[in-house]
Amino acid sequence: MSKIKVIPCSGIGKVFGLLARESALMVTQEKCPDDTETLCLAHVVTGDNEVVEKIKGETCITMDGCAKYCSKKSVEETGGIVVKSHKVPDFMKAHRGEEHGTGTYLTEDGWKYAEELAEIMVEEVKEIKAGVN
Amino acid sequence: MILDKIGIISCSGEECLGGTISRLAVRKMMEELKPGMVSTLCLPLFIAGDGGEREFAEKYPTIAVDGCSKCCAKRAIEKYSNKVAGSVDVAEIIGAEIALEKPLSTRNLTTEHMEYVKKTADKTCEIFDEILAKSV
Ligand code: SF4
Ligand code: SF4
Repeated sequence: MSKIKVIPCSGIGKVFGLLARESALMVTQEKCPDDTETLCLAHVVTGDNEVVEKIKGETCITMDGCAKYCSKKSVEETGGIVVKSHKVPDFMKAHRGEEHGTGTYLTEDGWKYAEELAEIMVEEVKEIKAGVN
Repeated sequence: MILDKIGIISCSGEECLGGTISRLAVRKMMEELKPGMVSTLCLPLFIAGDGGEREFAEKYPTIAVDGCSKCCAKRAIEKYSNKVAGSVDVAEIIGAEIALEKPLSTRNLTTEHMEYVKKTADKTCEIFDEILAKSV
């Protein structure tokens, strides 16, 4: 099985986009580097053959910054199979009142939240791997 | 026409360092160099958005800031909206080899990385000022 693609959206205006990005980087670089990788969403969006080949028919987890679901939609449009789709605000309930930062930086609470989002995806990576092996 | 805002859109590439730099350079423009004068949009919204997002580059002269020579932001803007008013390729500023290094978490930024961000933002600022001067 090729590596599971963990693809965050490219949200830039608010902290949610940065949370999506940082949590995906935690999964692909620190927590599951052997089982996962990420792709540039902007490249996916171009529909270049090179990136379509990488994503078509592949198992993907997406993490979006808002209900526009740019990552999920763009990945599906390019032929990726989105087995788990999330948006950062879905997990906000336990974090009400916390300050997470901005589109530029995360606060300590922001990093904790990103870590939590990453752990959710790590569990999913394990489930997917277990289902396949 | 006197412009009140100029669009700046980064590719924000998740796969390499250049993408991280492109994103931070645009944030620097928004927060420090040209506060209140920059309009930005998440790049994938050009495709996924169902509102008036595709008109963005028709409304604002737009600068694309890309992390590598694939220039995804520039190409996506031109395909779905309008010709860009200017473009910046981070790889031309910091060198292709460095730009294609692994993507970076903001918690691992060094002073060297911040220098790359500054150089990219300065180049973007130059183009920004040229566009502004032409509009007066
Ligand atoms: S999902 Fe929302 S935050 Fe993310 S790129 Fe799209 S519009 Fe921006
Ligand atoms: S221009 Fe380069 S860094 Fe940016 S999204 Fe495209 S491939 Fe990624």
